[in-house]
Amino acid sequence: MKLCEFIRPESLAQARAVLRKLGPKGLPLAGGTALHFMPGKVPVTAVDLTGLGLSYIRHKGAFFEIGAATPLSDIQRHRGPRWAMHEICRRISTHQIRNVSTIGGNICRVFPWADLPVVLLAMNARLVIYSGKLKEMGADEYFSSQPARLFRGGDLLAAVKIPVLKAHHGFGSVKAARNAAAFSMVTIAALLELKDGRIAAARVAAGSAIPFPKRLPSVEAALMGKEPSAEVFRAAASLAGNDAKWCKQEGMSAEYVANLAEVSIVDALERAAEFARGRTE
Amino acid sequence: MKRHELARNLKQVNHSVTKIDAMQLALGKDSYVADFLPKDALVIKMLWSPHAHARIKKLDVSKAEKMPGVKCVLWHGNVPRNVHCTAGQGYPEPSPYDTFMFDTKVRFVGDRVAAVAAETEEQALAALEVIKVEYEALKPVFTLDEAMAPGAPVIHDEPEAHVPIPITYEPKKNLVAHVACEAGSFKKGMAEADFTFDQTYETPYAQHCPIEPYTSMAQMTPAGRILITTSTQVPFHCRRIVARTLGIPVQKIRVVKPRIGGGFGCKQEILLEDVTAMFALRTGRPCIWRFDREETFRTGRTRHPFRIRLRTGVKKDGTITAIGLECINNTGAYGGHGLTVVSCSGGKTLPLYHCDNILFDGKSYYTNLPVGGAYRGFGATQAFFAIESLMDHMAEAIGMDPLKFRQINHIRPGEGSPIFQALGEGREGLPMTVGSNALGECITQGAEAAGWEKRRDWRGKTGRYRRGIGMCCLMQGSSIPDIDMGAATIKINEDGSFNLNVGATDLGTGSDTVLAQIAAEELETTTDKMIVYSSDTDMTPFDVGAYASSTTYLSGEAVRKAAADAKRQILATGAEMLGLKAEEVHCEDAHVLNADGSRKVSYSDIANYSLYQKNQYQIIGTASHITKKSPPPFAAHFAEVEVDTLTGFVKVLNYVSTIDCGTAVNPALCEGQTEGGTLNGISYALTEEYLFDEKGKMRNASFADYHIYSMRDRPPIKAILVPSYEDTGPFGAKSVSEICINGPAPAIGNAIYNATGARLNEFPFTPEKVLKAIKAVKK
Amino acid sequence: MKTAVNTVSFTLNGEKKTFSTRPDEKLLDLLRREGYKGTKYGCGQGTCGACTVIMDGRAVYACLLYAMQAEGRKVRTIESMGTHDKPAPIQQELVAAGAVQCGYCIPGIIMSATALMEAEKDITDEVAREYMDGNLCRCTGYEKIWVALRKTIDRAAAEPAKKAPKGGKK
Repeated sequence: MKLCEFIRPESLAQARAVLRKLGPKGLPLAGGTALHFMPGKVPVTAVDLTGLGLSYIRHKGAFFEIGAATPLSDIQRHRGPRWAMHEICRRISTHQIRNVSTIGGNICRVFPWADLPVVLLAMNARLVIYSGKLKEMGADEYFSSQPARLFRGGDLLAAVKIPVLKAHHGFGSVKAARNAAAFSMVTIAALLELKDGRIAAARVAAGSAIPFPKRLPSVEAALMGKEPSAEVFRAAASLAGNDAKWCKQEGMSAEYVANLAEVSIVDALERAAEFARGRTE
Repeated sequence: MKRHELARNLKQVNHSVTKIDAMQLALGKDSYVADFLPKDALVIKMLWSPHAHARIKKLDVSKAEKMPGVKCVLWHGNVPRNVHCTAGQGYPEPSPYDTFMFDTKVRFVGDRVAAVAAETEEQALAALEVIKVEYEALKPVFTLDEAMAPGAPVIHDEPEAHVPIPITYEPKKNLVAHVACEAGSFKKGMAEADFTFDQTYETPYAQHCPIEPYTSMAQMTPAGRILITTSTQVPFHCRRIVARTLGIPVQKIRVVKPRIGGGFGCKQEILLEDVTAMFALRTGRPCIWRFDREETFRTGRTRHPFRIRLRTGVKKDGTITAIGLECINNTGAYGGHGLTVVSCSGGKTLPLYHCDNILFDGKSYYTNLPVGGAYRGFGATQAFFAIESLMDHMAEAIGMDPLKFRQINHIRPGEGSPIFQALGEGREGLPMTVGSNALGECITQGAEAAGWEKRRDWRGKTGRYRRGIGMCCLMQGSSIPDIDMGAATIKINEDGSFNLNVGATDLGTGSDTVLAQIAAEELETTTDKMIVYSSDTDMTPFDVGAYASSTTYLSGEAVRKAAADAKRQILATGAEMLGLKAEEVHCEDAHVLNADGSRKVSYSDIANYSLYQKNQYQIIGTASHITKKSPPPFAAHFAEVEVDTLTGFVKVLNYVSTIDCGTAVNPALCEGQTEGGTLNGISYALTEEYLFDEKGKMRNASFADYHIYSMRDRPPIKAILVPSYEDTGPFGAKSVSEICINGPAPAIGNAIYNATGARLNEFPFTPEKVLKAIKAVKK
Repeated sequence: MKTAVNTVSFTLNGEKKTFSTRPDEKLLDLLRREGYKGTKYGCGQGTCGACTVIMDGRAVYACLLYAMQAEGRKVRTIESMGTHDKPAPIQQELVAAGAVQCGYCIPGIIMSATALMEAEKDITDEVAREYMDGNLCRCTGYEKIWVALRKTIDRAAAEPAKKAPKGGKK
């Protein structure tokens, strides 16, 4: 990506006004680590969003609120009650990237290999968008397609709100990758709500091996009302093919990736169930 | 004293002396090619072929030449057409001359089309975009089968293509090289066997991945010569090949190698220097060309992929009655190293085990894929995967522990092999018996460190995650006997320090330090008294360069001889100063002294005397060395793995890498070579691979997609140096750096088998391949 | 709001500096042309770590950052770490362990290790590995680098906490 100008707004309102004026000639810039994946020939004006006070993690009531410009390493290092976000953040790329790459940058443009959209879908996160005023939207709506549609006219992602997990809630994420820093081959995240030893609610999402991250409704439906056992998880995972058409990855066939995804779904559910059982406040 | 203890009393050698350039590098001082970039340097960029096989019908650079900042454009229409070989080998090379600076044909995606030198990188890139090329696409050849098929497209149809020595080369059949030999009777050996085996193995492409990419700079000196500062393993070959390619005398070129950021074989190739030199000559300006990472993967050199058919026969008592090794390799679009890599696949492996009936057949073929070159292990890496996989297979068939099977069969000290003579590098080798050999001890110590006794048959293993242990044995060589030469000069300074000038090339291994230790040992002084200067074609004596595991063994002996020469002069002058005869004095602790030490003069006094006071002359020793042997280092490797039987992911839990490198001149550096080569071998076995699209373009040309290990991925590696003493090497040393990369693929493959019963004849052991093999296992 | 097109100002190795630049110049290119050549080019893609510098206490890839992104920040390069007469402890340990082979990755390794040691205390192996996973080395297999790093960390931890804030032991 070629830059012809570099602008540093000092408030959200200023940033929005500038981006609104620039239209397609403007580029909201946070960490900027993904720009070399975007080989644009036409020079653009970078609008630096790191000076807007959007780098923070706050525990507010039923949510953890994470500022859109918070680097992944801060999320990785943060600890809080029933906090689960570090698990995936420590698996994303390398330390130097995690120091610069932001949660907002990871989800405003969704690359096929992105892990965070998967996690946020399963977590039922809420996304806070600034369009002159702040408005919220659920992850299902936000990730229904490439989020760029939400930011035309200079609107900006301001924060991500993660529900604080309640007792009997469990979360698990699994990233299958060739080595520590590699892009994901399959990412799975699962949120389970247990009640009286049975699954009362489930959110299971997948990414990387499919064109765009999504939830797996057939898998979720198969879990409902069942006891959280390996057998139930395996049976549910075997339905994933109804929801997702797995793609070949890194020289490996679609059939293999489908198998890897199913195993990863079971693993993520196991982790979520352990989480739910292990911490019953 | 036992033989292997001969090095025990040495004072400089066999000590982990601090690497002499380590602090300079840790401080980040200017050290590498790009650190010496003059402010006014032009930047070179190349237009690469997007086609695997095509003829250039039209090439129009006129618009590019007029672009802002552009100083010069080079293409086939304006440079000399001198056929040459880019492989940095001895002369005449045992490789085809099949390359031009620029040609009218492109032979792989990433082949040269035209180059631009401009004031800035952006300007050079902009100019590339306006070069107009019209290609006539030709049918590409992507597999060995396609290359060998009757009527296959001919990749090198240029009339100039030839080999400069009398060896098989049939470009019309895409055949780069063919070498074959037989000892005893393979047929007879197979008939005598109780069990026979016939397996085919495939080994993959890989790139060396030096962290410093290929980088080269050229500038005109005030005297009108070309100074090439370049990241090379072969400065002298570089000078010769650039002279040939440009059609100018060797005298006009000076090649300097500063510190270089890793090579592993890929910088034994003259890939950039002809173009940087040509631009400097044409523009009169300093010119720099640095490959980016993608170019390093795509156009840089690679490890030759091999297809290996291995047939063996074994008796119930463990006697190996026959080995038939047939190797076919893909050299890619150009044929440098095609003959030697395939020769080494037999020559550096087959002597390891006793066998009276050995058949070897090796062929190399052109394809329209990336080009193979020298890479640590060179041929032995590929063949050992087959041999050491099949050794386990054979042991199982006769019901013998695979470790014991190797113990009863491996070559012993004092033994020879007909293969040493039959397979040289470019011509017949030399007959040789093995002198030093501590392989037996390597196996014992490695087995203990790896916990071999806890190894259990895979059939009893259950559960999702299964563990297994595998091992393998290895050998390599040390230098190319009777062909490669190294030389050194050493002179004394007033304070008793010495200038040690060597042609030998330190590519980050620490050879400058190792050579300084050898000189200091011979001269009875300390390593810190050595000022080492290496690899400058104007200033240092000749050396073939850093390849074929030669620097310590070959150049080291040249250094020892040069030091001995200087020492003889020091003794003579010292004796003169003391009024004694030369026979009455000896050297000790940087002094010359009489027998009881009652009278002595220091080296500093001797230097001052000889330089300023009486009978003045320069104390200077010089020597050359060629070897008559290529003594193999030996190694036994052990891998413990955990296999996820649901996904096929393999995790290496522990790795033990033993090595007999003779005397370890610098034990810490020897361990470093062993650990580094081993980890490279581990990722080669598990995660490194070239993925191509349907047009023959590598589609994972970045560290994001081509997976080498980080500190987070690395398993614990235990390097164990097992001493022996090689009489023909300097202070008992032989080679260390290449052998270690050969072990992980077979050791891990054998460990996967021991964990799961799944036998893979092809690597990298990707999760999909492993899972498929596990599913095919029948208990 | 400032629109800075031609210059960038930041604290480099403790000194306030202003450089002329272009909006799409990378920090690595600026540093190298200004003579800070201990920071290396290895991949230009944010994957190898040879260009690692410390920005506001964090290890970052200079090859990915635009120079403009350093505006107002504190940047440290290998040139700030030590001299032949007074090398930093991590430099001493790397040299002593035989961890410097070709050396091309080493400045980046040192910057990541420094960021680790300044940001964390009670450093476990796991945390250390996470901080160091963005620096590739192809020569050493990391064994000797690891030994040197662990030694430096443990030695610093064993020393009386002279750098720690007043009254704070751990």
